[in-house]
Amino acid sequence: MGASIGGKTVVVVGAGIVGAATAYFLSRSGFAVRLLDANAPASAASGAADGAVSVASKRPGPMMTAALAGIALYRRLERDGPLGGLFHERPTIMVAEDEHEAETLRGHAEALAGAGKQLRHFEGTALPSYLPSVSAHVRLAVEVGEEGHAIGYEVVRRLIAASGVAVERTTPVLELVKSSSARSIAAVATPRGPIEADHFVIAAGGGSAELLGLSGTVRPRKGQLVVTERAPALNASLPGSLMSCRYLLSKDAILAAGGAAGRRFGLVIDPLRTGQFLIGGTREESGDTSNDLAAVRIMLASAVRLLPGIARLRALRAFAGVRSATSDGLPLVGRVPGYDNLIVATGFEGDGICLGPLMGRTVSRLIAGEDCELDLAPFAPGRFERRSLVA
Amino acid sequence: MAEPAISSFDVLVIGGGAAGVAAAAELASAGLSVALAEQRPTLGGAYHRQPVGGSARQLRGQRQWLRLLRGLAGAGVEQRLGHVFIGLESDGIAMLDDRAARRIRSIKARALVIAVGAIERVLPRPGWQLDGVMTSGGLQMLLKETGGVPPGDLLIAGSGPLNVAVAADLIRLGRPPVAVIENGNPFARPGAALRLAAHPGLVAEAARHLARLASARVPWLRGSALAAIERRDGRLRATVRMPGGGSRMFAADIVALHDGIRPNAFGLPAETQAQPIVVRAGDCREALGIRAAVADGRHAARQVAAMLAGTVRDGSADRKIGRQRRAQAILHELFRPVDGYGLAALPDDTILCRCEGRTVGDLRLMLAETDAPGLREIKLNGRFGMGLCQGRFCADAVRDMVAAARPAVDGGASGPLSRDRWPLRPASIAALAADDELQEGK
Repeated sequence: MGASIGGKTVVVVGAGIVGAATAYFLSRSGFAVRLLDANAPASAASGAADGAVSVASKRPGPMMTAALAGIALYRRLERDGPLGGLFHERPTIMVAEDEHEAETLRGHAEALAGAGKQLRHFEGTALPSYLPSVSAHVRLAVEVGEEGHAIGYEVVRRLIAASGVAVERTTPVLELVKSSSARSIAAVATPRGPIEADHFVIAAGGGSAELLGLSGTVRPRKGQLVVTERAPALNASLPGSLMSCRYLLSKDAILAAGGAAGRRFGLVIDPLRTGQFLIGGTREESGDTSNDLAAVRIMLASAVRLLPGIARLRALRAFAGVRSATSDGLPLVGRVPGYDNLIVATGFEGDGICLGPLMGRTVSRLIAGEDCELDLAPFAPGRFERRSLVA
Repeated sequence: MAEPAISSFDVLVIGGGAAGVAAAAELASAGLSVALAEQRPTLGGAYHRQPVGGSARQLRGQRQWLRLLRGLAGAGVEQRLGHVFIGLESDGIAMLDDRAARRIRSIKARALVIAVGAIERVLPRPGWQLDGVMTSGGLQMLLKETGGVPPGDLLIAGSGPLNVAVAADLIRLGRPPVAVIENGNPFARPGAALRLAAHPGLVAEAARHLARLASARVPWLRGSALAAIERRDGRLRATVRMPGGGSRMFAADIVALHDGIRPNAFGLPAETQAQPIVVRAGDCREALGIRAAVADGRHAARQVAAMLAGTVRDGSADRKIGRQRRAQAILHELFRPVDGYGLAALPDDTILCRCEGRTVGDLRLMLAETDAPGLREIKLNGRFGMGLCQGRFCADAVRDMVAAARPAVDGGASGPLSRDRWPLRPASIAALAADDELQEGK
């Protein structure tokens, strides 16, 4: 069987949110999809994410544009698609705890307003009536409207169910097998044998780097998180997710250091629909999923400083996810140079939940030869120095 | 931010029951610095649980316990009472939740001996989540701590020798239970009963308990199973399936359930010879009961001391431990359930996860899907093992049901439902966030 560009069979490698969304949109467009995962659906970053579907923290530019489109798609999939009940709209509330942060926040708010986001500023006496449970030292809060929350593993499960595809679990891809023309991929090699298709999509997070020889470009960036017990009253006192301005600063610091830096702490306190809170997170140059007391202590101490009532709750568990990060902070989405039937979609760092469905639709349209309604040029997989894309 | 104080010891022993106390004394007498952490305010563990306030009468085993305490007294072991072990974090620091002080104490040890006792098995049954239903082990702890029995009629059900022992305790305290429902039928296993003769201590104990039941006219209904519990007219009504096929109803105010004990690895760090060395001892390693606990604690202590000294110790276990292993195997055979009672027979609306209210039917629906999910997917999407108990009560049953439905499930149904995440027990955020830890050990 020869691969053909007009062909209707696709192998998607990776059953995280990007792979699951790709499988969903491809199936709807009449493609026959095989969805492989080295482990199981949502077993890596998608299953250990904070679930923010948010523009608030994005820098102006392609990521802000993509995030706006990502949220619009969530709303649509929630309303008339497979994600009914899984996308929970609520604002993101960015808070500044000192004057330096307030300055950063004001500047960022301008950029968000420029991108068309609905904003409300709260300062002085207006603050405690808007955020009664938040500490009195907070200087400024900016409510960013039309944002939301989605649990990654729930979205993955729903998309896979709606796609009708049976995931091939514990099926790692060992290598990509080139066709005789060497201009295309003929099959993926797995321990269960080779799997042929017309098109191949690599959406395997950190595993993508290894398959495509991108290990210098895509790096693991760990984030530690803590989930609390239920506290319905305190939970209800927050109109949305609290995001400390330090989160922006922690992202910027890493970029300033050329994509690698020591451990950084951002702070997001997300009131979950269960009545629990999700508290995150770190940015660490590490690929393991362990938790250390020093990091958890710093995260929780800053959470208590911002939301004192959380001190009365108990932590149920700490966990960690590993993001796939690139050195310029932008994902890799598009055709892999040199191959006419190989597409990669990875490197979303902390934005996979927000952008996953959108990227799945984008990849599906690329394969179908349709307009993908998103400028992929900034995300071009070939933009870094030519490492051996596919060794 | 100031680094919190970290205390250092050669060995941290976790669990102040018989095995932990024996291990701590042995390690200290070998010249090692030892801390002994116990989550309750007093040492004792399950078997030697001490009366609260010192007013209750002793139940049994006090002589051995005093001997163990004497061994500890002169050894210079630092006791950390009221300290709950919540995990070993990724930098190798053991964390103890000092609940009274609302602080997390960090302990750096070259080795950990984990002696936290067995887990009491309780199988799900319709109504097991109702108020008034407890575990037999929990009831026994209550008797030991208070010397009294909670008000109302008691019914004991499940399987295993502990249920008989608890019934005997209740009779001694003047409050015989209405019945003891036993899934197994030890009298129908003559081979095992014969082999039990090699363990006269156990035979004598069993005879004593059974004589007490007989003289108090407490029925020991063997080969029967508690099928359901309901609350009606302010009382618990238990439906018991009898061996002949009929059923009997019992009314009670308290139902104590117990289906045996098993080793406890729940969320605990794995055993390792790399520092910090982790070794398990006592019932949490292998559920062999009190007769093996002291020997097993000492055995673990000698192993750890040898590892710390860089020498290899002959791994052969104590003779006492081998003997108790044989005894437990016989008891297991004696109490093997004769009824077809099992998870497969449970009605769909049986609560499986008591924290999140998830039912047996919820799990069956997930297992019936064409794209059948693996264990972690079942946990996350089904919310099994996600609640406050962190899966202590449902993880086994969930795993067993998955294994029964799909013997060759990916990732192996034998794996744990939860990975070894800390905190092992829900821990106060105020304590975890505090960085003004007392400058102890300085």
